[in-house]
Amino acid sequence: MKKTLLVLKNEIITLITRPSFWLALVGIPLVGTLVFAGVGAINKSASATRTVSQVLSGPQDTRPEGYVDLSGIIRQIPESVPLDTYRSYPNEATARQALLAGEISAFYILPADYINEGKLTYIRPDLNPPPSRGDLSNRFTWVVQVNLAGGDILFANLANGPLKVDDISLAVIAAPDENNPLALWIPYIITIIFYMLIVGSASLLLSNISKEKENRVIEVLLTSVTPRQLLTGKILGLGIVGLGQTLFWFGTSYILLNLSGRTFQLPSAIHLPVSFLAWGMVFFLLGYAVYASLMAGLGALAPNLREASQATFVITLPLMVPLFLSSSVFMRAPNGMIATVLSLFPLSAPVAMMARLSAGGVAWWQPLLAGVLLAATAVLIVRLVAGMFRAQALLSGQAFNLKTYFRALVGRI
Amino acid sequence: MKKLWHVAWHEYHRHVFTRRFVLAGLLSVPLVILVMVGLIFLVISLDSNTTPLGYVDHSGLLADPLSAPAPEWPDKLVPLLSFETEAAARSALDTGQIQAYYLLPVDYLSSGHLSVFHLGEFKSPARSQFYSFLTVNLLSNTDPLIATRLVKGAEIIVQSPDGSRSISSKNWFNVVLPMIAGIAFIIAMFSTGGYLMHAVVEEKENRTMEVIMTSVSPNQFMAGKIIGDTAVGLTQIVLWLVFIVLPILLLRNTISLLSGIQIAPQTLLLVMFVMFPVFIMVSAVMAAIGATVSEAREGQQMVGMISLPVWIPYMLTGQLMSNPNSPLAIGLSLFPLTAPLTMLMRDGLTILPAWQIALSSAIQVVSAVGAIWLAGRAFRLGMLRYGKRLKWRDVFAKN
Repeated sequence: MKKTLLVLKNEIITLITRPSFWLALVGIPLVGTLVFAGVGAINKSASATRTVSQVLSGPQDTRPEGYVDLSGIIRQIPESVPLDTYRSYPNEATARQALLAGEISAFYILPADYINEGKLTYIRPDLNPPPSRGDLSNRFTWVVQVNLAGGDILFANLANGPLKVDDISLAVIAAPDENNPLALWIPYIITIIFYMLIVGSASLLLSNISKEKENRVIEVLLTSVTPRQLLTGKILGLGIVGLGQTLFWFGTSYILLNLSGRTFQLPSAIHLPVSFLAWGMVFFLLGYAVYASLMAGLGALAPNLREASQATFVITLPLMVPLFLSSSVFMRAPNGMIATVLSLFPLSAPVAMMARLSAGGVAWWQPLLAGVLLAATAVLIVRLVAGMFRAQALLSGQAFNLKTYFRALVGRI
Repeated sequence: MKKLWHVAWHEYHRHVFTRRFVLAGLLSVPLVILVMVGLIFLVISLDSNTTPLGYVDHSGLLADPLSAPAPEWPDKLVPLLSFETEAAARSALDTGQIQAYYLLPVDYLSSGHLSVFHLGEFKSPARSQFYSFLTVNLLSNTDPLIATRLVKGAEIIVQSPDGSRSISSKNWFNVVLPMIAGIAFIIAMFSTGGYLMHAVVEEKENRTMEVIMTSVSPNQFMAGKIIGDTAVGLTQIVLWLVFIVLPILLLRNTISLLSGIQIAPQTLLLVMFVMFPVFIMVSAVMAAIGATVSEAREGQQMVGMISLPVWIPYMLTGQLMSNPNSPLAIGLSLFPLTAPLTMLMRDGLTILPAWQIALSSAIQVVSAVGAIWLAGRAFRLGMLRYGKRLKWRDVFAKN
């Protein structure tokens, strides 16, 4: 026990005396605050806003556009379109002349067979296609639609579906509010934060062990501590630093946001309860224990960091699945079957369950069950990896591959 | 000169003819694309709930309804059920007979306003099928030709004034393709740059370099390594292209989306004069990093700092797409690290002025030459200082 504490203390001291640790600790909230302050300052000053929008979008072209109607469809331009937005030309040649003379910025050709074919040519010197800046071309196609409908604006609009739909959910548990983008994005953001936290802290362990193995410090260490003491000390030490770093980041961003005059207000549609924080702590710690042990096992077997890094992808894959599915599954159906299964499966639970909890509506027993399953997995994996963490594995410089890793994990080596 | 090619061939040979290169380098991108496509189909199939949809019509629009056209693949048909009263629809909803019901008020035809009631979530394929059902009935008394045109809308074909390039709104793939190509290019660029950095650090660490230096000059050694590793990256890109281009060529007659793909000659120009120099520059900078640091992990952190600006255009995709000719876009097209992705993205969206291509490629070529010089110098200085980190100040100092 004493030696475990010694390893733990040493890990913490080595880590926090590194300049790069402090750089990351202070730098990340600092950069965030600077960006926030900068954006705030720009938003406050009108001239700065104008300059920025000039740089972002370039000078606005206020010239009208032209059209050549060979089909005879356009009889009138609806009154809601500002005057001189579209100029009519009898043929393509005159429209081209006007374009060359700079009177218009672009022009449309409505061919004689438009009703049959539906093709509308849009001549633009900069060839900027409709998916990007479609504002003017969208309006022109709308003008064409209205004229096709005999000038009846309501009829033309209704032809593409209802104008306004009231979406009323009769469910007992409120569904995510589609009109509040932030409420919809919260599960996504939580997924990313938890993924980064767990993988970030666990990777520290991987680089730590493979480095010590590479420069043979580990051989010296093993003369006085047992592999299990070494592993426990390292996992705990790096875990404490990782957790401390996270809490510091959250704390400073909270304080800095308050100092800069922006209160940390989430819209009333989202309320993350206290239990969310408690569960967050539980799932972070257990998730960290599982993944840090897996990474430690990897570090113990791989001869150097480079080979170990290649295998991390496979190990963190279960944690990535919720990340891939976050926009489709967790944002839209946080309590559907796929989301529930992923949140109960121990290897994806740390991320998936937190995403679901942030969306709300999770049955009370589910986080409990997921927590128990995850804790059992953590115990199992720590034991397996400790078995793997034997002197022989740590000392040998044998070639590494994933097969060896999984065989060692189940104790077949 | 012969020794340079020796070094280059050795680098190429030891990376390309390995199992790792085949698995990680070649199959990764096609595999990721396959997984993505698979996930998209999974999500679509999850979305299709074929439980019937109910409606209560007080407006008279659906009194004698025509049925809606069948949905396009991969959406599945959702049956529509009419209810006389809201109460009947509600009880059908409660018993799970329908997934949701629409309520069309008396004034729907003058207000265009309706409501939809559901218990769980209500997904879009069913919505769009109901809207097309409404449209079909709204247009039942209109001339069929005009009705079809009203529903389908216009296909806008944007054309340059000289007619040399045109993009149809249906072929959005042409807009996205250069961006995908740009991303693949950057991945290849950094993975080969990574090989180079690791190779330099490793050889420095295990002192192989001292032996090599007895027979090759530092400049020959560095140039050989850069050429060899660039060739590795190009091999990767060419093979990826084969993976991507072959299916497109084979399927372009069967899948309409692919038939509109066209590659403008200026895209090839961009690849030759902008992408290639940037590739060499990044390789050289990576080699320079390898020469200045004392261990690979330290180098990794510096690589992170270089790769960050490269992804800026990707983060600003929305902004660049809506304003491909803004000062910001032009600035990013000229700056060495952001040029490749920005230029490719803009190429799909607008006509790049010749002066911009010329200026950007000139800047890239100059930067590439500068980076090679820097790498050679850093290497010469760093070689003699084992275990000690070389300071960038020393690299730029006058000897």
